[in-house]
Amino acid sequence: MDDDVLTTLKILIIGESGVGKSSLLLRFTDDTFDPELGATIGVDFKVKTISVDGNKTKLAIWDTAGQERFRTLTPSYYRGAQGVILVYDVSRRETFTKLDNWLSELETYCTRNEVVKMLVGNKIDKEDRELDRSEGLKFARKHSMLFIEASAKTCDGVQCAFEELVEKILQTPGLWQSENQSRGVHLSDQQKQGAGACGGYCSLT
Amino acid sequence: MMAADSDPESEVFEITDFTTASEWERFISRVEEVLNDWKLIGRAVAKPPEKGEYTTGTWEEKTKEINFADFKFSITHHYLKQETVESEGKEEPEEDALPLAMQDLLCMNNDFPPRAHCLVRWYGVHEFVVISPGTNCEAIISESKCNLLLSSVSISLANTGCQVPVFVQIQQKWRRMYAGECQGPGVRTDFEMVHLRKVPSQYNHLSGLLDVFKSKIGCPLTPLPPVNVAIRFTYVLQDWQQYSWPQQPPDFDALLAGEVGGVEFGKLPFGACEDPISELHLATTWPHLTEGIVVDNDVYSDLDPLQAPQWSVRVRKADNPQCLLGDFLMEFFKLCGRKESTEDILGRNSVEEDGKENSDITHALSKLTEPAAVPIPKLSVTNMVHSARKRIRRHRRVDESPLSNDVLNSILLYLFPDAAVDKPSDNNESKAQQSNPDGKTEQEKDPEDYNLYNQLKSAPSDSLTYRLALCICMVNFYHGGMRAVAHLWQEFVLEMRYRWENNYLIYGLAGGPPDLRCCLLHQKLQMLNCCIERKRARDDGRKSATAEGVRERKVSGCENGRLGPESAGSTATAGGMEVSPGKSWDSWSDSEDEFFECLSDTDELKEAPAEGERSGAKEASKAKPEGRLQPHGKLTLLNSDQPLYIPVTQEPAPMTEDLLEEQSEVLAKLGTSAEGAHLRARMQSACLLSDMESFKAANPGCSLEDFVRWYSPRDYVEEEVTDESGQTVVRGDLSARMKIPGNMWVEAWETAKATPARRQRRLFDDTKEAEKVLHYLAVQKPADLTRHLLPCIIHAAILKEKEEEAAEDIPSVRKAIQQISSLASKLLRHPNPDYKKLEEIINQIMVVEAVIARARSLKAKFGIGKGERGEDAEDLERFVSSLLEEPEVAVIGAGRGPAGSIIHKLFVSAQRLADSTDEAALLAPLEEEAGRGGGGTEDRKPAGGGGVPDFPPPAGREILLRTCVPRPAPYSKALPQRLFCVLMREEFRLAGAFSSDTSFF
Repeated sequence: MDDDVLTTLKILIIGESGVGKSSLLLRFTDDTFDPELGATIGVDFKVKTISVDGNKTKLAIWDTAGQERFRTLTPSYYRGAQGVILVYDVSRRETFTKLDNWLSELETYCTRNEVVKMLVGNKIDKEDRELDRSEGLKFARKHSMLFIEASAKTCDGVQCAFEELVEKILQTPGLWQSENQSRGVHLSDQQKQGAGACGGYCSLT
Repeated sequence: MMAADSDPESEVFEITDFTTASEWERFISRVEEVLNDWKLIGRAVAKPPEKGEYTTGTWEEKTKEINFADFKFSITHHYLKQETVESEGKEEPEEDALPLAMQDLLCMNNDFPPRAHCLVRWYGVHEFVVISPGTNCEAIISESKCNLLLSSVSISLANTGCQVPVFVQIQQKWRRMYAGECQGPGVRTDFEMVHLRKVPSQYNHLSGLLDVFKSKIGCPLTPLPPVNVAIRFTYVLQDWQQYSWPQQPPDFDALLAGEVGGVEFGKLPFGACEDPISELHLATTWPHLTEGIVVDNDVYSDLDPLQAPQWSVRVRKADNPQCLLGDFLMEFFKLCGRKESTEDILGRNSVEEDGKENSDITHALSKLTEPAAVPIPKLSVTNMVHSARKRIRRHRRVDESPLSNDVLNSILLYLFPDAAVDKPSDNNESKAQQSNPDGKTEQEKDPEDYNLYNQLKSAPSDSLTYRLALCICMVNFYHGGMRAVAHLWQEFVLEMRYRWENNYLIYGLAGGPPDLRCCLLHQKLQMLNCCIERKRARDDGRKSATAEGVRERKVSGCENGRLGPESAGSTATAGGMEVSPGKSWDSWSDSEDEFFECLSDTDELKEAPAEGERSGAKEASKAKPEGRLQPHGKLTLLNSDQPLYIPVTQEPAPMTEDLLEEQSEVLAKLGTSAEGAHLRARMQSACLLSDMESFKAANPGCSLEDFVRWYSPRDYVEEEVTDESGQTVVRGDLSARMKIPGNMWVEAWETAKATPARRQRRLFDDTKEAEKVLHYLAVQKPADLTRHLLPCIIHAAILKEKEEEAAEDIPSVRKAIQQISSLASKLLRHPNPDYKKLEEIINQIMVVEAVIARARSLKAKFGIGKGERGEDAEDLERFVSSLLEEPEVAVIGAGRGPAGSIIHKLFVSAQRLADSTDEAALLAPLEEEAGRGGGGTEDRKPAGGGGVPDFPPPAGREILLRTCVPRPAPYSKALPQRLFCVLMREEFRLAGAFSSDTSFF
């Protein structure tokens, strides 16, 4: 069943508290929206296999808590991530202005140079939008990121965001191939690796 | 077939039968096929090659294999890559234009190219095909086979109309004998070659060679159009004795004997042990002579190298000169592959006890809990090192130790400068805390260099780990190899344990949690330091908490008066770190009911009663507030007007990357089910709970809303509402998600008791973590250690080369170092680096070292950097640096320029030297032979007054003759003719290209 999976990718979702990180993930993995989703404690973890351009890719997605205090825990989860999704809330400007902090944290803790970064402006279903699409676009361009606006509630852009990210990762040479190789070699480790998914050590730059 | 069967009416007009084709026919058709595949058919349009283009342009080649019966040939297409000339309005070249190769024969833009295929040098062609016997196939030697091969080529060319010359390699490979042919419309060029061991005396000069050329052309015209002549003589300089190679391998024993010995451990050696430049070749060229202008015959020669209009120089580099840095790295790298454990190396006896000590954690623990293990007041670190040593000596006699005491002492002093005898220990410790006294200056020197460690995942260049790597490398190379490495490591681990047991911080590590950008070993050492720091804080706290009472009853430790200042100092430090222990995953599941206490904050104690009085009226805060850090802005509690305090919290547990890895694996293993997610959150709520308890303790009477306002402010929603009285008031409320009944935040809040951080259960067990680290260190084999430290050594080597390059300023080296860095960065950040590729990195480092050594050698030889200033010096410098980068460098001003005169002098003094040694040694027979072999010119033309010529006989003479005459008949078309002659001591070669008209003859 796992045999035809091309590779396992580690994706990390970060951003200020309450911007809808867990909701985006829930929408992507279970295609549901739960307005009563508890605030994440520490990190949460979900797995989903998707097919991009005919390549089956298993995603191990780590969803982090946005609260300041939990951040002391999260650096470890940056390790080995091939993709990072930065989320802000288009209806709350302060979640956007804090992006710089998140970005510098990302630069500090990511073990790879080529990690693919995606900026997601969430909650576009809301009436009281404070941020234009163009502002997000400008920020993304400045920091060479992918950019999309989305709504976990209405489902807009969510699937697309993850697919785009995966496609980009697969196109980036050296970001995932070597892992594939090592999977081939350590057949006996497969069990362990499956369970550990992409815990910190997959950094294969 | 099917079609034919179903349609019997279709007629077969003609049958061509290839079933009986011979091997020869098949071979020819295969050659044609290849020529077709490579699209070499017909005329190519190209402009004649530019001056020097053969050197600057890129040469490419394609190869295929073809068979003649079962004999393998390889057929190779060599060509100079030229941008395809788009014919802008240019009409197609005339039908009967000569093939490009024939034009090349006369083109003078690229004579004597410094780096090219020999056929290019001999025939000047820029595109050709070579058929040569395949690898492991015997050479084509018999004349009939050669002819057969040449005929095949001839037929293929004729059949296809290919205008590219095709050569076949005949005779033994080393002889580089080729025969070939080029065909064009109505014209043909035959490429022929003569190769002899000795130069026949009648052809040992220009006039003899001209005779050969003319007779070969056999031109019926009189007078013959003048032959164009180009000549190059090459002189070799091997004797550099007067500029003896300056670098001596450093004498390490001497260094160690001196007092400064230890300092030298921080340096990597650098440079070549032998002269990396073995020869200098001077080519003196007369590029454009016409027959009759110069005389060169068996009695006289005009060809004086000093008068030659063009000089160019190339240097021959010694192949893989022995270089110190490279050797160092390689030897170190080899350790990575060793299997032996420390025990195997140092013997069972010596390690047995250490092993016990290190692996038996329970024993160690019980030892720690003994009162004796509590810090020994005021022990100088030197004593520590010494007593650690004593322990090891107990089970090993001195003479068995791979490292002598002197060496070991200097290394330990270098690694732990805080152990120096004359410095007071307090002083050193405070330094140790802020990583390194000169860390800052290093950092300021060049931030890019300093930060190299996070690219390479090594360790900062001023850290203990980095210095350890240098020492291990040095010890491995000079002081006993792997045994010494094992010994030093054992000492190092002992020192670590000693520092842990005695609460001495490890010197030379940045404070704070392990830096995940560094190598794992560095992280482990930082982790140990964190443990020591926390243990110290705890011990100091305990001490001062009881101090008051103790002092009255018993003056115990303070009796000698020493404890006083020290404990005061450490209390201050401890105060800042009161809250050290944090959350640890291991302790999450621990049921051990340990509470940790720290000294009470004196300020807080003072403050508390006052607060109590004031808030005594309020029934909400009966409890005494504890563990306050600071007020949170101007916020007050929702249920009272008390300011909201940020509590002192437990600090996060320091983690090394392997612990983090374990942790995320545990979390991931819980799976993605709802229960899994719930459990995961539970596991991580220890920190939340602890923070809530601290918050409750610091803010008596607070609510979850208060906590959320501090902890997750966005989950407290404030709205402006107009109340009944018409006034706008701000009303706040928890966010929807915080109000979900039974959510974990609410649940945790309800369970949380008001307990200040210092009385909470310790979430980070420093004792356990320290023992884990020490055990980890103790079980590392020398090979493991080497692998841990390899990034640091590569880091050090790169820095060393950068430093050495900066002194020489060699652009190509700068680029190479950059490439090495980025490749190494890619490899080393991989969790399981590819050691094959890392070896490649080391090889590249060695190459760079050799280049720098060569630059030094050349600079010494040309006297650069000896104080002379001015234009000449600048030109000279440019000349020397191009010698390194380019295959051949023109000497500006030839023999009369500044570089030229130095070269001239070099030759002159080498000649004098050779002459005097010859006389001394009476090497007459040798000289005689030299005279016979290549010394023709010298015999005829004694130069210089003292009988010793300025230059030795040329090692090689190349004479290129060209003309364009009708052949074979007077009425034939005038076609290019060329003869390239090579005259060397043991080789005589004539490579001729003779064209003839195939229509009019």
